[in-house]
Amino acid sequence: MKKRIIALTLLLSLIASSVIAADLPKLRVGYVPEPAHGLYFLAKEKGYFKEEGVDVELFQFGSAAEGVAAVKAGKLDVGTFGTTAPLLFISKGSEFTFIGGMMVGGQAIITRPERLPELSGKDLKVYKGKKIGLVKLSTGDVIFRGALKKAGIDVKKDLSFVEFGSAAAVVEAVKKGAVDAGLVWPPHFSLAEKNHGLKVAHYIEEFYPDYTCCRIFAHTDKVNADPDTYRKFLTALIRAYKFYKTNQEETVQIYTKSLKIDEDIVRNETYVKKVADSNPDPLRKGILDFWQHILAAGYVPQDYPVDKHINTEIYKQALDSVVKKNPKDKIYQEMLTFYKKNN
Amino acid sequence: MRLTIEVHAKMPISPLTLGGGGLGWGEKLLHFAKSAASPTPQSPPVKGGEAVNKGQTTHNNNILLAIFFVSVLLSMVATPSSASTVRALRLGYLDSPGSALARIAAQKGHFREEGLQVELVKYSDSGKGLEALETGVIDVGVFAVGDSLRAIAGGKNFRIIAGGGTPIKNTPLAELDRELQAENESRGVLVLIPPSWPNAEKGTIIQLTAAWIRAYRTHQQLVTSSSRPGKLVHFDPNPDYWRLERIWHSLGLQDAAMKRDFLANHVYEEIYCDALDRLLLGHIDPILQQLFSKAICTPNCCPASAARL
Repeated sequence: MKKRIIALTLLLSLIASSVIAADLPKLRVGYVPEPAHGLYFLAKEKGYFKEEGVDVELFQFGSAAEGVAAVKAGKLDVGTFGTTAPLLFISKGSEFTFIGGMMVGGQAIITRPERLPELSGKDLKVYKGKKIGLVKLSTGDVIFRGALKKAGIDVKKDLSFVEFGSAAAVVEAVKKGAVDAGLVWPPHFSLAEKNHGLKVAHYIEEFYPDYTCCRIFAHTDKVNADPDTYRKFLTALIRAYKFYKTNQEETVQIYTKSLKIDEDIVRNETYVKKVADSNPDPLRKGILDFWQHILAAGYVPQDYPVDKHINTEIYKQALDSVVKKNPKDKIYQEMLTFYKKNN
Repeated sequence: MRLTIEVHAKMPISPLTLGGGGLGWGEKLLHFAKSAASPTPQSPPVKGGEAVNKGQTTHNNNILLAIFFVSVLLSMVATPSSASTVRALRLGYLDSPGSALARIAAQKGHFREEGLQVELVKYSDSGKGLEALETGVIDVGVFAVGDSLRAIAGGKNFRIIAGGGTPIKNTPLAELDRELQAENESRGVLVLIPPSWPNAEKGTIIQLTAAWIRAYRTHQQLVTSSSRPGKLVHFDPNPDYWRLERIWHSLGLQDAAMKRDFLANHVYEEIYCDALDRLLLGHIDPILQQLFSKAICTPNCCPASAARL
């Protein structure tokens, strides 16, 4: 009898939760399998999305191009596919709006162990005269070029680049000595260290703090039609950010379970080496910088006012609502300071 | 003249046909069976929440699915004649020097290398060719840039998958005057497909584009080895959205009522990038590397499947 009551209670609560979920506005969210995209898993697992009043369905993509195309076709309500891909689409006329962020930093320069001494130090000049392997238009490519320019290094004269089709091909080229160093992103550099004995010479973050990687964007029409749902979505991510900053072990477990990546790699990248930060801030200034680096590299022949495709207001409203409820919370106060600095 | 695509389950896999959407039926089934057997499906989109929660039931279902598809595959291998998939296509091209890559691809066997058997249909006029493309008389078209863009502006829902040859005008004025340059470029050719091509046939479109790129490589090799001086046509298989956009505006085709991404929606650059990517899996080829270096392809920001790493 007792078992039946428990079963009935469980059934009723299941029905109740599905009824509640059915009433909530739905958002189909696309992401790529990286630990730094983990705020989605935390918000889902801890029930923040539903608590904030939005029913989120997560869809994993292996290709940024396909993900962005899905947002364009209206098959996704939110996309998280780098900074380059949405910017390229916007420059060609797609009506996308950046509303938040997911990943900050994360790119590394790998080399063979015997080359490490000549690439050490905190000066980008060590890369002068070197041959660098990269994936064209990847975040690493765009930001490394930007960092070199800021350091007064001529990217056309002082060093050379070899373009590859994938991060795996870059790792292979470094391993074989076809290039002096290579630019890759997580978890490729961790895997290159673990599986091939290669070494990280630098994280680009050391030369270019808080640069943007994956941004959260949506179709402009959808954002304009229902900003409230997007605000709730971002509120849940802000709460997930706090969880990720304050519950390390559980976060590692949730990321590992969700991504099925080696637990050590997740822990190492997320908390030990801190190769990337997950932060829902839109980083407007970072997006604008990124666009200028794309233009400077000659990847797009004409400028376009991308600023009108960045909406920081929805995120600010979400952050303000969380701060209002938790005025003394240190993490949320830090997020506010970070927002003011970067937007 | 007809083009017939015949794919057998036993078709040998060349190193250049591995990966991407260009898999033959046999490989597709094997790939699907492998994916189905994996607890974490690898083809996007994967529903993240479900992949986490379904657990063992999903895994068992996947194994059953895998067994089913492997059985189907084995039955196809056992009866190759009944398992073959026949698909008829026609490639129409403008009779001009700019269309040379179509003839090279056919004569040098590049369509065949990609698992395609292509027959060519010659047109002396792009207008008639585009009409044939629209009505389904032909399946792929290689026609004048200007006429094709005008047809698209007029509401024809063609998609551009590759570039072709452009006549060269070596006059100082042509280099200085952008309008003259655009007018000249509009006389070049490009490769189009009609809207009737379903998305499910993306693999075949990639194969066609890969054959086109192979033809370009052969052309470049022939030019390099030839002692004949001078060059009348510049070839580039890249559809190059930004070049087309310049021509589009020079021809005054952007109507005020058109959305800003009207032209972009008709340029299928992703196909060209996928085809190039696939060919680059082979040995390092300087001609392909050069094409890759010029192409503006959306980078894959992440591992194709973190689960496999």
